[in-house]
Amino acid sequence: MLGKPKKPEEESPFTVGKKEEVKPAPPPPPPRPTPTPSEEKTIIGERISIEGQIKGGEHLVIEGEMKGNVEMEKHNFTVGSSGRVDGEIRAQNVSISGQLKGSINALGKVEVTKEADFFGEIKAKSISVEDGAYFKGSIELDREPHRKSNFAAAPKAPASPTAGKAAFSPSSDTKKES
Amino acid sequence: MTTSTAQRRSYSDAEPFPVGYNSTILEQFVNWIEPWKDAQILDAGPVCQENILFFARRMSRHYACDMFIRLQRALGKQAGTGSFCRHLDYPPRSFDGIQLWDMVDHLDDEQAGQLVARCFEMLRSTGLLMLIALEKEPEPAMINTFVIGRNYRVDFRLQQHLQLPWYCRHNRALISLLAEFDFVKSFRYRSGLREFLFQKPGLIRD
Repeated sequence: MLGKPKKPEEESPFTVGKKEEVKPAPPPPPPRPTPTPSEEKTIIGERISIEGQIKGGEHLVIEGEMKGNVEMEKHNFTVGSSGRVDGEIRAQNVSISGQLKGSINALGKVEVTKEADFFGEIKAKSISVEDGAYFKGSIELDREPHRKSNFAAAPKAPASPTAGKAAFSPSSDTKKES
Repeated sequence: MTTSTAQRRSYSDAEPFPVGYNSTILEQFVNWIEPWKDAQILDAGPVCQENILFFARRMSRHYACDMFIRLQRALGKQAGTGSFCRHLDYPPRSFDGIQLWDMVDHLDDEQAGQLVARCFEMLRSTGLLMLIALEKEPEPAMINTFVIGRNYRVDFRLQQHLQLPWYCRHNRALISLLAEFDFVKSFRYRSGLREFLFQKPGLIRD
């Protein structure tokens, strides 16, 4: 327990000199509010328009216009509500509230808010999309392990009209909703 | 989450509308398509997080094109809708399945015909088309998303940003509209909600 002198057998083998009463260690100083590199971010303002490739070591927020590719695998990329981006994005997490046309490859999550206007391809670990977003795109997520396909590209399943009808016999039913 | 249950609470005078149900047609739709390694599905319904996750976790690649919001924007233009199907600019034979939800209920005959023709082009042979249709316009005539849950449970979520007209059709009119397809199966629920599954004819999958 803190404040109790150490017993001799608990002494460090490197302890030399006379025994001294071990005082409780002072509490560590509170962490300074200085931002770590991962918290730093750059904001491209509404009245800024840039064209070209961006490689980043900190988070990036686009509120202006940008045309070009972005590569920042360890950091987050955000298109703010007034931002307009056209390009390929590779980032840790991506959040879209403005317009984005292009492809996103996120190692983490892609977030599409209801203000967003997205057109393109998304490849990510996970995705969240709010109702009301103007969205047209393809989404590729990690498939569920137990949902590995049984068939290769070439179909092995019955696909002839006859076989299809064997699988789907035309019928109409009335069902009670549960 | 605003489900139909919540909606019914808000509109206590409304006539019964399904509070959610287990969709047999959706299960067949998914079970038919899912086994293919390169399966691709197009969801033309309102953007919905749950549905995107549901399909994207099961298919090689999931496509979402919210045709409801596109129709609304097209209707808002004075020039008219034109062919709002121009947004469905995918190459022919791209998909194994197209999920239209209740899109057809919001299209007049001309628009519905354009949409169905476009779906026929975009589907691979033996590909499936699933749609939902109500027998009559619900009261209140609000637009809902069909939200897929566990075990093919489908619930409803109000889409307040959408205001679209209704063109509810009888079975015969719907099947006639989709005459190019093979009719596979339909279910009618007591609430008047109907689910349909159609298949693009063909000997083998493209």
